[in-house]
Amino acid sequence: MANPLNQPRRKCAQSTTFLAAVFLSLLSSAAFSQSRDTLPSPLLLKALSLEELMNIEVTSVSKKSEKLREAPSAVQVITQQDIRHSGARTLAEALRLAPNLQVAQVNSSQWAISARGFNNVLANKLLVMIDGRTVYTPLYAGVFWDVQNVLLEDVERIEVISGPGGSLWGANAVNGVINIITKRSSDTKGLYAQAATGSNGQALGSIRYGGQLAKGLSYRVFGSGYKLGNAIDTNGLEANDKWWMINGGFRLDWEGSKKDKLTLQQNIYYGKPNPDAADTSAIIARGDNILAKWNHIISEKADYQLQAYYDHTWRDFRNGFTEDLKTYDIEWQNRYQIDRRHELTYGLDFRLMDHTVTNLELFAFLPAHKRLYLYSLFLQDEIMLIKERLRFTAGLKMEHNSYTGFEYQPDVRLTWTPTETQTVWTAVSRAVRTPARIDRDFYLFLTPDLPFVSGSDNFRSENVMSYQLGWRLRPRKNLSISLSSFYNVYDNIRSVEPGPAPFNIPITFSNGVEGKAYGMELAATYQLASWWNLRGGYTFVKKELSVKPGSKDMNEASAESDDPKHQFLLQSSMNISKHFEAGAVLRYSSKLPDPYVASYAGLDVRIGWNIGKSLQLNIVGQHLLKNRHVEFIASPPKFRQIQRSIYGSIAFRL
Amino acid sequence: MKKLIKNIWICRYRIAIWLLFSQSSVLAQSTPELEYQLKAVFLFNFTQFTEWPADSFHSDSEPLVIGIVGENPFGAYLESIVSGEMKGGHPVVVKYYKDEEDAGTCHVLFFHIKDPQRRKEIIEGATDKNILTVSDDAAFLKEGGMVRFFTSSNKIKFQISLNACKKARLELSSKLLRVADIIEPPEIK
Repeated sequence: MANPLNQPRRKCAQSTTFLAAVFLSLLSSAAFSQSRDTLPSPLLLKALSLEELMNIEVTSVSKKSEKLREAPSAVQVITQQDIRHSGARTLAEALRLAPNLQVAQVNSSQWAISARGFNNVLANKLLVMIDGRTVYTPLYAGVFWDVQNVLLEDVERIEVISGPGGSLWGANAVNGVINIITKRSSDTKGLYAQAATGSNGQALGSIRYGGQLAKGLSYRVFGSGYKLGNAIDTNGLEANDKWWMINGGFRLDWEGSKKDKLTLQQNIYYGKPNPDAADTSAIIARGDNILAKWNHIISEKADYQLQAYYDHTWRDFRNGFTEDLKTYDIEWQNRYQIDRRHELTYGLDFRLMDHTVTNLELFAFLPAHKRLYLYSLFLQDEIMLIKERLRFTAGLKMEHNSYTGFEYQPDVRLTWTPTETQTVWTAVSRAVRTPARIDRDFYLFLTPDLPFVSGSDNFRSENVMSYQLGWRLRPRKNLSISLSSFYNVYDNIRSVEPGPAPFNIPITFSNGVEGKAYGMELAATYQLASWWNLRGGYTFVKKELSVKPGSKDMNEASAESDDPKHQFLLQSSMNISKHFEAGAVLRYSSKLPDPYVASYAGLDVRIGWNIGKSLQLNIVGQHLLKNRHVEFIASPPKFRQIQRSIYGSIAFRL
Repeated sequence: MKKLIKNIWICRYRIAIWLLFSQSSVLAQSTPELEYQLKAVFLFNFTQFTEWPADSFHSDSEPLVIGIVGENPFGAYLESIVSGEMKGGHPVVVKYYKDEEDAGTCHVLFFHIKDPQRRKEIIEGATDKNILTVSDDAAFLKEGGMVRFFTSSNKIKFQISLNACKKARLELSSKLLRVADIIEPPEIK
């Protein structure tokens, strides 16, 4: 440790040799197993607990991927298996497993996450939902990742759609949608407890118990928490941004009949993230939410869903500034098949966001209290042009918001399935990012009467016209490949405009940036053998933005974002025997242009050891290739480096 | 550190080779659908989570028999699952019966039989002989059966009738009962 310069290189060589060894020596055995079916081996099945056995979908492999294969969008799925084998500790870490996302850790608690570029800690073109609840702060139209915690063991899957989802999901889904779906409580019966500790003072713990209260009525209660260690600051010292977070809740599921399903779930959290590494006072972030959902199947041809939630989130920045947001949302969705050709889906949504801040003398959102109303209607018709071969989907979302009034987000898609094993799709969509409070209501004063920065009532919605072409194929039963390409034309992207001469203040926000972005995403999943799964992808994004005539954007059309052009991901998950599991995730990100961040490769390795059916020991190493590295610089010239992490965990299932 | 990695690695390599051999021998035979693979594993699990009365075994080393009557949906898969497995000193084995009259000596009995009269007779006979009866038939528990597999949300689940188990003097572990749906059909006269 005395010489930090020598350390990384030696470790790097060692780790890569290790990985190469794993891959090469298993290659020979894999060659044998290729020809056979990709079903779990008897040894593995026997090693599973009753609960785990009851969670295996009987027809999953073909049916689910069939649906995925036909989906006319660039959707990637992170499964529970993928998460478990990766050793991810938090939701944000699990999102690193999506080949079509840009995920960068800024410091111990802050993340920059986006799809198809425009990444920043304040990234605002991605819609994120946890079990149907939109996770979004109208403060900056983005996500506070430090409070989005779920018990990863109880996540069923994470769907990541890159590309606009505006017509179905609503505003903010300009560049992508993340859908985090947790298991039904009927699938989480029994006890699960996990405790972990490791380098850098980190500690994790979670506990869940589930069972059945009556016929068709199941429940789970859970709690989890973690403490994560320091990043390294610009001077090479521990940054003191270590932090902790706890959350807990319950979920009730009632399958009243074959036609009705009811869900009620609640989550409460409390955390003290400390992104500024303040010595005395970390941020206090707390919140709670409750969601109820009712699904009713009318017939094979029609069903509806009614969902309502309340979400309260509160954040004290400990400098006098606080944010309080209460969201009330109710939505209705109805699908029915009109005839053999048409399937109609429509939905209504109403949302109230009651947003209150406590302002500082010179830092303010005005008015301090604002009610934001949002109501929307969406309509989608899926038309089968040629039975099982050619589908045309047309959708439109009309949405009314408190800042800009009506917004329209249309979407048309064509899906051609020439053979059983492949689908070609194309889509043309428009999506918008409606103004957030930061665009309209934000003020920074030099003196109580002299604004330096001032929000602008003229700020309009940012928008994109997106043209996509994709190809999904499954050349073999155990191999699926997805290739999507996009050409996005952006307009009215946020610019920062200098004020009137002579002092050029107040600085305001405007829509002075336009341009295009294009790229492609290649992703594949390869089940080499029943016990060995490989998945990964390559993503290329190129942005060409420019300042519109009349604008004097002080950011020179950077759109405050910093994206890698090339990204690469490879995950290997192996169930080596009844007792041993081994997983590795290798990822690469090319350099970020401005602020400059060097390209980097990261390697995570997990070794799991099952003792009997109830006990599992894990050793996980994260960022093994380097002692420390920078992933994203949010406030240059200061930056933080993420440290290598090693932890051991013990998990108990009963 | 290096040494540790090396050791782990050698150990794993051995396992991988061994796994390959054990798997290929199973594959030489036809493998059933995943549904029946899972059910086979459940049947094996049932042997581990059930306590039989002492008099169902004549000696300490007598095998614990999983019997299949009628059509066998498992192929040879069930055998590969139980091979080498024990239950309290009793090796677990699989036997196939053409005729249910021969099935009196088994401990777990799986069957799928269409004729309700015949089904009823098997259930009654098995209950008297402390046999855990398992089936997929929809009416199985109503007819006095003990464990019934069903599929819900594309996953294999099972229902258990505790009364029926009690009649056969079988004790099921709470681990098994917790994940099962407990169904008590009205008594049949």
